[in-house]
Amino acid sequence: MVRRNSKEEPKQRQGSPNPGDPGTAHRVNGPATDAGTAPESLSQNGQAIPAADAAGARLQPGENRKILVAGLQETFTAAAVDYAINLAERLGYEIIGLSVNPELTPSGGFLTPYKRHLREEFAKRVNAASTGLKQKVAAKGLRFEHRVGFGDLGKAIEDVNHQIKRIEFVITDAKIDADEVTGAVSLPVFSIKGSQGERIMAEHLSRSTRPIGKTIAFGVAAAALYAAVFTNSDTVMHYFTKGGWFAALPIATVFAFSFVHGAFANYLWAALGIEAPKKVVQPRPEAKRPVRRQRPRPELRLNA
Amino acid sequence: MHDIAAEAVNFIDLNVMSIIFLFIVGFIGGLVSGFIGSGGAFVLTPGMMSLGVPGTVAVASNMCHKFPKAMVGAYKRWKYGQVDIKLGLVMAASAGLGVQVGIKIQQWILDKWGQAGSNLYVSLSFVIILVIVGGYVFRDAMKSSKTGGKDVVTALAKRLQKIYLPPMMHFKTADVKISMWFTIPIGFATGLLAATIAVGGFIGVPGMIYVLGASGLVSSATELVIAFVMGFAGSVKWAMHGMVDIRLTLIILAGSLLGVQLGAIGTTYVKDHMIKIVMGSIMLIVAVSRGLAIPEYLKDLGLISVGPTTLKWLSAASFITMCIALGVGAVIILGSMWRAKRAEIAKEAEAALEESYGKI
Repeated sequence: MVRRNSKEEPKQRQGSPNPGDPGTAHRVNGPATDAGTAPESLSQNGQAIPAADAAGARLQPGENRKILVAGLQETFTAAAVDYAINLAERLGYEIIGLSVNPELTPSGGFLTPYKRHLREEFAKRVNAASTGLKQKVAAKGLRFEHRVGFGDLGKAIEDVNHQIKRIEFVITDAKIDADEVTGAVSLPVFSIKGSQGERIMAEHLSRSTRPIGKTIAFGVAAAALYAAVFTNSDTVMHYFTKGGWFAALPIATVFAFSFVHGAFANYLWAALGIEAPKKVVQPRPEAKRPVRRQRPRPELRLNA
Repeated sequence: MHDIAAEAVNFIDLNVMSIIFLFIVGFIGGLVSGFIGSGGAFVLTPGMMSLGVPGTVAVASNMCHKFPKAMVGAYKRWKYGQVDIKLGLVMAASAGLGVQVGIKIQQWILDKWGQAGSNLYVSLSFVIILVIVGGYVFRDAMKSSKTGGKDVVTALAKRLQKIYLPPMMHFKTADVKISMWFTIPIGFATGLLAATIAVGGFIGVPGMIYVLGASGLVSSATELVIAFVMGFAGSVKWAMHGMVDIRLTLIILAGSLLGVQLGAIGTTYVKDHMIKIVMGSIMLIVAVSRGLAIPEYLKDLGLISVGPTTLKWLSAASFITMCIALGVGAVIILGSMWRAKRAEIAKEAEAALEESYGKI
């Protein structure tokens, strides 16, 4: 799953709101926000004003500061939503939801009709999923808007940030690693894990599967090889000790056994959880660098 | 040697006890050789002989299990980035030369002083080399374990690396640039020792560490490549004489392939000096074992007089000490793996706790 596609970058820089573009977010429902107001507010008096002022006193009437909740599914984790709602209620912010599907990106600059259809389906699902969420937010008297994006999560967030002004920070849910997002986004990003975190950890641990099937398969194969040799040991010993070109027989046999039984041993230790703890890279001695010499520097002296 | 093959070689009948013995010794030998690059052979050959296997068959069957074991171990440790294949091949080529010369020396001694003289020569070389080299390795390991397991390149290796004597060779994984003329003698000595006492690694690994300046991890891993090449060549030779008892080989292999992989995994858990500690301990205990065997040969040569009961006890003590050497190695390896694994689990649990509370 490649999220960041370098080919798509030039398009992104143009900031085209074309729904066909990857990583572009477009509105699904909720009230329209005037994307053009913020830059104007910055230069109302014909001069640029400091960002702090713009964020504080010069808020347009009807325009509110926002929290962006971003996730890779149609819905967000309960922990992230609760946190965002509580915070928004206290601060009087609006909430923008952003569901990004990282997979439905154009291949070779072209979005196939099938993918277009899938995008519409995704948007519909997001729409359906957000009704409950909208009610929950509306119950607190807050405004909510749910958007969808495609492609890279970081880029999608940045696009929304360009279209909707006054997003103060981003909250991502537990399924996203904060490091994935922060690189591309010029907003503070917080990851809410809460009780979800433990669940994710548990999933992660169980994901490191142990090769029990392979162990059994190679174990059976190795046992079969041993049985084959030892049930016919008289014949085997007769031919294997003839010497001369028959020397190939024991040599080939030990090779065959070492492949099968060696693979079994490998999987057996892995299945028992005995594996190399980390990627072992031989530590190399540091290269000797020339010692940096302290050069005499000109000093200013005052002779009074 | 074709005349030996023509004779009816007695291949023993296997029973459950001997199968279990071979399997266990194979496993422990594999564990040790996966960890320090060699080992096991010094117990297996006398062990097989005590089961009634003729000496040549014991040596041949043991060698035939050694090279696939070394291959599996080398592959596993190559995956961990510890094997310097180029160094291994250069060493193996010069070791091949050493083996030929070693055999010539053996034959010369055999002609001059007979079997007892040859045995005495073997045991004396065992004791002298193992005490000197093993003592040095052990002392160095203790020193570096006191300084927190930091591996330092010896002054000798540093000096040799500075000498420009073409052709110079660059061993990338070992991170060593040294003249070929210093590499060959180490390989040669490894071969010489392998032909004499059947465990070349006891000189090859310390040679690579202290003379060439490679780390203990890389040296012990590279030794497996040497063991593979030499074991393969030796096995082909023995098999052509029909000396390999494939049943013995396969039983030992069953244990040693399990052991060698565990030993290789073990190297990823421990610090570099652990390899030296294991190697030094084994070498010193084996030296004691061989020392116990010397009176018998001295008596055979008519130099001293010892009673037969004493000799029997000495020979039993020698074999038991040999098993203890292997056992001590295995215990140190498994113990240090166990400690490292426990520390890792504790660290993981801490990380998991941190993760569940979030990163902010």
